[in-house]
Amino acid sequence: MTVAPELAEPVLEELRQVLGSEHVLTSKPARYNRARVPAPFPVHRWAERVPDLVVLPGSTAEVSEVVRIANANRIPIVPRDGGTGLTDGAVPVRRGIVVDVKRMNQIKEIDEVNRTCTVGAGISMLKLNEVLARYGLIYPDDPASYPCSLVGGRIGTSGWSLIGSRYGHSRDLVLSFDFVLPTGRVIHIGDGAGRKLSKSSSGYQLKHLFMGHQGTLGIATEATLKLFPKPEAELSPFFAFDNYDDAYRCVGELARAGVATFAGAVLFDEWKVNYLRRDDEAYIPQPTDVRALVCAVAYGYEDEVIAGGKRFMRIARDNGARYLGDEISEGDWAARHDRYATPLHGRTNAGQVVPMSWHCEDAAINYSNLPQVRLEWHEIIRKLREKFDMFDDWGMFTYTSANTGLDYLTEIDVGIWEQELDDASWAAWVDAKRDIAEVALRNGGSISACHGSCREGEVDLVPQELGGGYDVMLDVKRAIDPNNIMNPGKYGLDRAYESAEG
Amino acid sequence: MSAYRYTEQSEPPAAKQVTDVAIERFEHVFEVDPKLMTAHVAQQVFPNWDTLRIVASRHDHLDWMHRHWADKVISGQQLLDELTE
Ligand SMILES: Cc1cc2nc3c(=O)[nH]c(=O)nc-3n(C[C@H](O)[C@H](O)[C@H](O)COP(=O)(O)OP(=O)(O)OC[C@H]3O[C@@H](n4cnc5c(N)ncnc54)[C@H](O)[C@@H]3O)c2cc1C
Repeated sequence: MTVAPELAEPVLEELRQVLGSEHVLTSKPARYNRARVPAPFPVHRWAERVPDLVVLPGSTAEVSEVVRIANANRIPIVPRDGGTGLTDGAVPVRRGIVVDVKRMNQIKEIDEVNRTCTVGAGISMLKLNEVLARYGLIYPDDPASYPCSLVGGRIGTSGWSLIGSRYGHSRDLVLSFDFVLPTGRVIHIGDGAGRKLSKSSSGYQLKHLFMGHQGTLGIATEATLKLFPKPEAELSPFFAFDNYDDAYRCVGELARAGVATFAGAVLFDEWKVNYLRRDDEAYIPQPTDVRALVCAVAYGYEDEVIAGGKRFMRIARDNGARYLGDEISEGDWAARHDRYATPLHGRTNAGQVVPMSWHCEDAAINYSNLPQVRLEWHEIIRKLREKFDMFDDWGMFTYTSANTGLDYLTEIDVGIWEQELDDASWAAWVDAKRDIAEVALRNGGSISACHGSCREGEVDLVPQELGGGYDVMLDVKRAIDPNNIMNPGKYGLDRAYESAEG
Repeated sequence: MSAYRYTEQSEPPAAKQVTDVAIERFEHVFEVDPKLMTAHVAQQVFPNWDTLRIVASRHDHLDWMHRHWADKVISGQQLLDELTE
C-alpha cells in the first residue's frame, strides 16, 4: 500500500465501513487514472499528482461521512466528476482522497408540471437528455465536453454552454443542489425552502458562491435542474469571409439582432481557418480567399426558427458573407463536441506532423475588445513557438455568451507536444499563459469564461482580477473550510490560512 | 457482394494531391499528406474498408447528434433562396 501515513489502516477501515470495501480504491490504475485532466502538462511529473486513495460514494450521506472522516484526520479531499475540467481543478496536488461522484448518476425525479428534474451529481447531460427526450424535454447545458462532463463538475466550474445565449449557462440552469461542506455538514443551496425556484430575494444569494469554486468549498451531490421543451427545429448556417473585419462586423450584428431563437454565434479567425485548412475535411477544399468564418445557431419551434433564420441570412448577406452550404453547416455544428478539440496532432515549425494534445486558453471579452486581444494572443504564441518547437497555434474562436452580444467566450487553441515538455518549455508555457491572462484583464475581461482560472500561470492574476473580492474569497474559504482540507492548493487559497496564523 | 481480397484491401487507391498538405484517395475523404508524417509519426497499413467504415460511422454520429438536439434541421440554403427570390 502506498498511502500516506494519515491514511493508515484505521482510517481506511473507517472508510470501508461507510462505503463498502469495493468502493475504496487503492490500486495504482485507480489512482493514476484520476491524477490528471485533459489539459497538457509535463508528463514526467505525473507522480506528483497522484492521490493516495479514491472513494466512490453512492449517496449524499456517504459523501458526508467521507468528508467528516477526512476533516477529523486533516486529509485533503479532491472532488472529481467527469475529470474533463481544463484548469486542473480535479487534479490532486496534495495527495489525499479523490471523491469520485460518478456512481451518483441516478435520475431521482422528473417533474413535468414544474419542468424540473432532480439528479445525482454524477450524471452526464447526454445520458440525462436521452431519458428526457421521452418526455419531450431537454436540459440544454451544452459544453463542447457534453458527452463526458457531468452535472457536479458543471456546478464545480460554473460552466459555459454553447447554446447559453438562448438557454443560459450552468448557473442559470441549475436551480438548487445538496451540498456537503468541508466539515461534513449537508446543506441545501438554492432559492426558497423547496428545490425548484428560479428566483427569490430572501437572504444572501448563495448559489453563485457555491458554483465555480472548483471544489474548494465542498461537494455537490444532488441537483435540481431547469428543463425546456425539446426543440422542434435547429438551424446553424456557416458563412465564409475573405477578411476578418467583415466577419467580425457580421458576428456582432447577428448577436445584437435580438432574434428570440438565437442560441449563439461564433467567429473563427484567420489562424483557425488556416489550421482547419490543414486537417479538416470541410475546409481543406475551400478556396484560399476563405479567411474567416461565422456561424449563427437557432433552436425553437420550426416557424420561429425559420423567421429568425431569414433574418440571420439577410444580415450575413449584407455583410458580404458567402454561405458554405447545408452539408458543411449542419456537419460542423453536429461536430461541435469534438472536431476542434481532439485532432491529436499538430505540426512542427518545419511542417512535420507530431502527436499533440489540445490546450485552450479561454477568457471572457467584450465585443469591442476582441480584435485587439486576438492580435496580442497570437503574438504570445508566435514567440513561444519560435523558442520551443513543440507548440502549435491552432487559431482562435470567439463565441457569444449572451443574447445581446456584449461578451464573448474567447479561446485560443494551442497544440502541445506533451511528451516533449521539459521543465524549461513548461516554464515558458506557464509564462505565456500568464501573459494571455494579462491581456484579457488589460482589455477589461475575465481570465476565464468557462474553465476557471486556477492553473499555473493565470492563477497568479486572479487577485488582480477580483481586487478586494479576492480578500473576501480568502475569508469565505477560511470560514467554511477551517482545516483547509477541501481541494487545497487551488486558487492560491492557502494564503487564507497564512494570514490567520500571521 | 464481392469476396474479400487482402491485396485489394491493403492497397489504397492512388492519391490525388488536393492541397500542399493534403491528399485524397477516396472521394471526399482527405488525408494528411504522408510526406509530412516521416519524422515523428509512424505509418501503418490501414485496410480500405476500415477507412470507409470510420467515415461512415462519423456520419452516423453526426446524424445522431442532430436528432438528439432537435426533431428537424432547417436548410439554410432554402432560407437563402427564399430571400433572393
Ligand atoms: C473537449 C473539451 C471541451 C470543453 N468544452 C467546454 C465548454 O464548452 N464549456 C465549459 O464550461 N467547459 C468546457 N470544458 C471544460 C470542462 O468540461 C468543464 O469545466 C466541465 O464543467 C467539467 O466537468 P467535469 O464533470 O468533467 O468536472 P471535473 O473535471 O471532474 O471537475 C471540475 C472541477 O469541479 C470540481 N468538482 C467536480 N465534481 C464536483 C462536485 N460534485 N461538487 C463540487 N465540485 C466538484 C472539481 O474538484 C474540479 O475543480 C471542455 C473540456 C474538454 C475536455
